[in-house]
Amino acid sequence: MIPTLLVTSLLIFWAMDLAGGDPVNQILPENATYEQREILREQMGFNDPFMVRYFRYIGGILSGDMGKSYISGLDVFGTFMGRLHMTLLLGGSALIFACLISVPLGIYTALHQNTWKDTLATVLALFGVSMPNFWLGLMLILLFSLKLGWLPSGGTGGIQYLVLPAVTVGLSLAALLTRTTRSAMLDVIRQDYMTTAKAKGASYRRVIYNHGLRNAMIPIVTAVGMQFSYVMTGSALAETVFGWPGIGRLVVDSINKRDTPMVTGSIILCCVLMAIINLAVDIVYAFCDPRIKAQYSGRS
Amino acid sequence: MEKVLEVKDLVVRYETDDGIVHAINGLSFSIDKERTLGLVGETGAGKTTAALSILNLVPDPPGVIAGGSIILDGKDVLSMGEKELERMRGNDVAMIFQDPMTALNPVIPVGQQIAESLEIHEGLSREEAMEKAKQMLEQVGISASRAYDYPHQLSGGMKQRVVIAIALACQPSLLIADEPTTALDVTIQAQVLSLMKGLIDNSHMSMLLITHDLGVVAEVCDDVAVMYAGRIVEIGSADDIFNHTLHPYTEGLFDSLPNLKARGEDLIPIKGLMPDPMHLPQGCSFHPRCPYATEACKTREPELKKAEGSHYVACIRYNESSFCLRRDKDAR
Repeated sequence: MIPTLLVTSLLIFWAMDLAGGDPVNQILPENATYEQREILREQMGFNDPFMVRYFRYIGGILSGDMGKSYISGLDVFGTFMGRLHMTLLLGGSALIFACLISVPLGIYTALHQNTWKDTLATVLALFGVSMPNFWLGLMLILLFSLKLGWLPSGGTGGIQYLVLPAVTVGLSLAALLTRTTRSAMLDVIRQDYMTTAKAKGASYRRVIYNHGLRNAMIPIVTAVGMQFSYVMTGSALAETVFGWPGIGRLVVDSINKRDTPMVTGSIILCCVLMAIINLAVDIVYAFCDPRIKAQYSGRS
Repeated sequence: MEKVLEVKDLVVRYETDDGIVHAINGLSFSIDKERTLGLVGETGAGKTTAALSILNLVPDPPGVIAGGSIILDGKDVLSMGEKELERMRGNDVAMIFQDPMTALNPVIPVGQQIAESLEIHEGLSREEAMEKAKQMLEQVGISASRAYDYPHQLSGGMKQRVVIAIALACQPSLLIADEPTTALDVTIQAQVLSLMKGLIDNSHMSMLLITHDLGVVAEVCDDVAVMYAGRIVEIGSADDIFNHTLHPYTEGLFDSLPNLKARGEDLIPIKGLMPDPMHLPQGCSFHPRCPYATEACKTREPELKKAEGSHYVACIRYNESSFCLRRDKDAR
């Protein structure tokens, strides 16, 4: 995890450096003189070589200081954490929405493999995967906010503000999760223990849910975990379309303003978040599959 | 004698993209109460499909049960509804599968897997079922404390014992054992077989034992049916089949076994391979490999005809009064 974070931070620091643009222009008023700008540059250490600046930054992080935003002057860590719960809320509800649709649909299509129902669901899922997030968001706003007036088009507040962004993000996740669930179930259906269960006289539902789904959980959990870290860190588009004050928008805004500490800090924190989610997924594995649990506890 | 199971003219096909696989082509046999019938044949003869048909569990698609009847306690399995089938499976007829490594669900403790059939059929609560499952484990020689273990924590032989415990949990009247010892090593095979034999005798069950191992048949079975390309070619008591062999294929099976009385002699394998069930030969399906085949065998399909008592054989040449298998000639 540590090497990953080091490499990521170096890459992102370097990218921000290459991206050009001068934060001084953003901080000082437009009529500032050349001298004033140069003094500020010197003060903030912008004139130092790249590696010096990088290691100064890493040193800061190691002592618990992620720096302050050039623009707002606020602490990066505090700002990020202040936005985190909004993204968690959006990502979490999108994911729950996606699971509610895709797991039953995936099972259904697996059970009706190669029939027109399966094909229809496959086409819909393909459509879902290919549909750009922001476009879907705009279409939903057009329909539900402008035409029907049922839901607000953006902003935050009660649950009605959450519906459209969550559905937008959730639908594209659902498409992928459906495919994963389908293939996991197809694998499991052909296993011998499913025949054993049927031969015991277990009902169809019992065979599918008690015996099948529990075995198909591992690939599904993997996909959900990957999707969750994707939502947490990559929902910038949806957040921008719906004016949702989450991490994605924070990063996009900061990039536009050349707010290097904010961007670098946020992305490093996103990496930490991904690592935590992956760890959580690994722990969930152990609950899904006793064989993995046995590996962890050191006996077989 | 009262019949537990009667299979008549069963036809099962697998309709795949590559063509139709004729797995079972007019299979008929029956099992009497408290008797053990051994169903013998090479790999691909349709033995497992026959077993699955009895539980109406032939994978569909691609499997299609195209005709015939399977009468179980007076009722036709093939015309049962889904609910009736669920009541029958595990309760009246139970099955032991070939490979214990894959037959158990890897994510459920073995005790719970035994308890499941008790919960379903005997309406026991979870705790009661678990208690009884532990008793079942003891009966198959596994300590009750292992009821909470997962399949990966047990050895192959123990897994097969668990599979047996699952099958016997509800005291079915018929047990189908599909090559129950094939996946086990030889020392464990004997253990598992004698365990099965003991449990069946104690609880007055009938058994259909599917195997390709004639040694196993001799040890366990009262009656034997020899299957080839989805049909019975010879059926009778174990004594009939072993000592009064009538069909050339059965003779071929015995010839390919080592004989204690003729040590050092070469085995005589049956030449050729089992015909591709997608393109079965015309006439008797064994004729391309049969050393006794005549022109008539290539066109006429032999019927299962009574030879003596309960001994039946399906061979055209058997009708010729002068016909005699090489085995019998040697014996004379």
